[in-house]
Amino acid sequence: MSEQAVQLPLPGFEQERLNWRRSYERQCPDGKTLRNRSGIEVKPLYTPDDWDGARYMADLGFPGQPPFTRGIHATMYRGRTWTQRQLVGLGTPEDYNARLKTILSHGGSAGSLIPCNSVYRGFDCDEVDPLLLGTCGAVVNTVEDMETCFRDIDLGSFSAALNDPSPFTLLAFVLAVAERRGVPWAKISGTSNQSDYISHFVANHMFFRLALPGARRVLLDHIAFCAERLPLWNPLSIVGQHMQQAGATPAEAMGLTLSSAIQYAEDCRARGMAPDAFLPRFTFFFDLSISFFEEIAKLRAGRRIWQRLTRERFGATDPRSWRFKFHAQTSGLDLTRQQPLNNIARTAVQAMAGIFGGLQSLHADAYDEVLSVPTEGAARIAVSTQNILREEAHLTDVIDPLGGSYYVERLTNQMEDEILAVIERIEQAGGMYRAVESGLVQRMLGESALAFQDRVERGEETIVGVNAYQIPESEEMPRAPLERPDPAIMEQQVARLARFKAERDQDRAKRALDDLARAATSAEENIFSVLVAAAKAGATHGEICACLRRELGDGQPLIVP
Amino acid sequence: MSLAATPLDDKAAALVARLRAGEALALSKAITALENDLPEAGALIGALRPHLGHGLSIGVTGPPGVGKSTLVNGLIGQFRAQARSVGVVAVDPSSPLSGGAILGDRVRMTDHGSDPEVFIRSLASRGHLGGLAPTAARVVDALDAAGKEVVLIETVGAGQSEIEIAAVADIKIVVLAPGLGDEMQALKAGILEIADILVVNKADRPLAEQTASQLKAMLSLRAPARRDVPVLLTAATDGQGLEALVAEIDRLGVPPDRAARRRARTRQLLAGVAADLLRERLLADDDPAVEALCDQVERGTLALDQAARRTLEGS
Amino acid sequence: MTAFSERTRPPRVLVTKVGLDGHDRGSRIVAAYLRDAGMEVVYTPPWQGIERVVKLALEEDVDVIGVSSLSTDHLLIPQLMTALGQAGLGHIRVVVGGIVPDGDEAELLAAGVAQVFHPGVTREEIVAGVEAFALEARAAFDLETAS
Repeated sequence: MSEQAVQLPLPGFEQERLNWRRSYERQCPDGKTLRNRSGIEVKPLYTPDDWDGARYMADLGFPGQPPFTRGIHATMYRGRTWTQRQLVGLGTPEDYNARLKTILSHGGSAGSLIPCNSVYRGFDCDEVDPLLLGTCGAVVNTVEDMETCFRDIDLGSFSAALNDPSPFTLLAFVLAVAERRGVPWAKISGTSNQSDYISHFVANHMFFRLALPGARRVLLDHIAFCAERLPLWNPLSIVGQHMQQAGATPAEAMGLTLSSAIQYAEDCRARGMAPDAFLPRFTFFFDLSISFFEEIAKLRAGRRIWQRLTRERFGATDPRSWRFKFHAQTSGLDLTRQQPLNNIARTAVQAMAGIFGGLQSLHADAYDEVLSVPTEGAARIAVSTQNILREEAHLTDVIDPLGGSYYVERLTNQMEDEILAVIERIEQAGGMYRAVESGLVQRMLGESALAFQDRVERGEETIVGVNAYQIPESEEMPRAPLERPDPAIMEQQVARLARFKAERDQDRAKRALDDLARAATSAEENIFSVLVAAAKAGATHGEICACLRRELGDGQPLIVP
Repeated sequence: MSLAATPLDDKAAALVARLRAGEALALSKAITALENDLPEAGALIGALRPHLGHGLSIGVTGPPGVGKSTLVNGLIGQFRAQARSVGVVAVDPSSPLSGGAILGDRVRMTDHGSDPEVFIRSLASRGHLGGLAPTAARVVDALDAAGKEVVLIETVGAGQSEIEIAAVADIKIVVLAPGLGDEMQALKAGILEIADILVVNKADRPLAEQTASQLKAMLSLRAPARRDVPVLLTAATDGQGLEALVAEIDRLGVPPDRAARRRARTRQLLAGVAADLLRERLLADDDPAVEALCDQVERGTLALDQAARRTLEGS
Repeated sequence: MTAFSERTRPPRVLVTKVGLDGHDRGSRIVAAYLRDAGMEVVYTPPWQGIERVVKLALEEDVDVIGVSSLSTDHLLIPQLMTALGQAGLGHIRVVVGGIVPDGDEAELLAAGVAQVFHPGVTREEIVAGVEAFALEARAAFDLETAS
């Protein structure tokens, strides 16, 4: 082919299309209308009628250039592959440290820290039932625990993704440890994952929730603090994954996520921050369902909308503000308990969608996630899956390899329209904050979750082994029992916390918590800055959270099915 | 009640003795019997009667989204701080399609989730005869007999039947939110009429003061006897204005004409149930007498009101 | 609308989550299913304590409690069973839905849980199961012995 753009009409196009349609309708007389999860009709065939190269510059352009449809970097995976960020978090700080060292010894330079559910909920380990401790993440309550987590790790050359919801005590502990070790804060790099309080509020309630106004204030203080003091830290990851896991369609998930981003950016702007000071450090996190082409189109469309929003709405001039950086995780909702090894195939397809969608970082689920907390063997297969896709299958050789596909381009445009409609609906409701406060977003998620479940029930969505191709229960493979942490180890952890509290400078810790309470009620002070001081003074995670809950209110979920 | 005690009477008496002794399970089962008109319900009503009239009942109603549940949550806290025991009846709508219901109001009353002196019961509006009001009145009686010093009834004031539920109470609080605007005009006729106290909740929002003055202006147009309804501002999420609201509730206290009001209410409830029963009978298409009356009306040989009177004969 | 005496009592079900996890997509869908099947559903947000669940079940006179668990919160359910028994609520049937490993399932059943619903269960199976358990619970209740 020459490098000329396609010109319509093409000789013979109309006649041959008619011929094709006749054949198609003869052989497939009662072809049903198919729709993807976002409700877009999917046709049997796409042609230059749907998209043609004449739109190339407007719709696609080149990688690393607006509108970034083909990727945010000029080199994409040829330059640097995506980060394989498998989530790690288990048991005690010692367990975590050992696992992290193993990962780093295999050449990694980044790690994630997933805390125990008790930490998410804002409690210390002595405040919850010991049965629940350390089963799905690490128990980190104090600066001393954080010291242990990162023992022998150079904080100045390591990138940490902390699953650290508001009020960001984990980062405060990291900063306290860095200071003790003499590592300048300017060298601390990583991301505050789970800082998107809106997504937590409506979709994934795995943290203790300040009331909405309090959460809003704490996040803004956190962003402002990081902008001033932590040049290498991304204070905000906006989580479409929560939205989609809670029921949003892919288009809704992207639309709601961008609406949250608009809200956060407007809030920062209202505080007097310059768009180019905060936008480059907004990152995103998306779910990858098995609806392959739809997910690819979702991600490509999202990139395009973001660059337009940042430039047109916020007037950002720094190209880094325009780039839509995101992590993605394969969806656990598509995985099945029946014939669980099938999940390896599912995860591979989901991951491919993310790779073709141009992600920067990927977590592939373990196949047994739907049975229990993932086992080590299954987690290893998830890592291998990524390696196979990248190196054996050569998926990374060509940048945006599906670019120019009539179907993918048409679908990307249609998804863009759907996403924009969601953003418009939220704008009409007064923006994301108001739409969450009124329960609008929660209702959208609930309705879409039910609608999808109904499609499954009606057999319109096939789920292999569940509503099709089932095998008798007796032929299912034996499922490994869940490994539970040794209760004695968790008792030691509780004892260690007691010792830490007994041995600290009590007056200093108390004064620091009093300061925090005062900062929470004064509009003058930056809460996060005072919180870091409290972490240094020996205040625990549970104490800090309880203090802010008391002062800023305990958020109640607005959820009725 | 002059007849010899039946097994159902014995069962009811035992249940009442146990709920009077503070047994929550007995109270809960008694409410179920009353709500569902189980066989022992009649006997229960009789057995509860000697123990009624000690508590103060408070109806809380208003349009959806004004924060009624949060306000009730705050009121519970206030009454508990005064060491008064509290019963709550929270009414949620039933789905007209399935008859099922999600009972979620008490979700916002979780501050008192483990206080043994607070008993919360959710009721679905269902298709009760005469509306839910007769049933709600019985449930309130059960809580009263069980010794709850204050009984709160929370219901969405979206229609006449919901307003009737709140009207079961000694004191009726109508809750509004700032900036209702046009809605307020529509409210004038119905919901405001029953209010003993008007509350503008979410007073931390703009327009709260303005809404309160609008309400006062509306009240000033009323007959003198119904003019002096207090208008209070609250922000239930942080407790603002709740103490004043409780003081106002206590100032009003048990209405002096309680017995007369109770009788008037019973009459209302009776009328409601009777009307429903009659409607049901007339709409059933298997009664030849009703068919004959319809024929006459359609032929023009009998006036509609005369035909209606005849349906009552022999009822 | 039918006459008082003919009216049937819809099953009353408490749909809740205990412990620390907050993923509520499943519990919300199940609550909607049960409502759409004509049941009265007392719904709570996540993170309920055992004591609170017992008080709720007691005051609302529910027939069935459905607990959704997606991480490891099902480990608390034996405590719930004991607490229900102590409160005179041994007649209430408890079902668990979500991610429960096989070994744990046996433990839950031994503790008195009526059934564990796993991912992939259909609407019909849930509705039919809960209805049957509600009838069982009513038959099992005896006021004389409960206290």
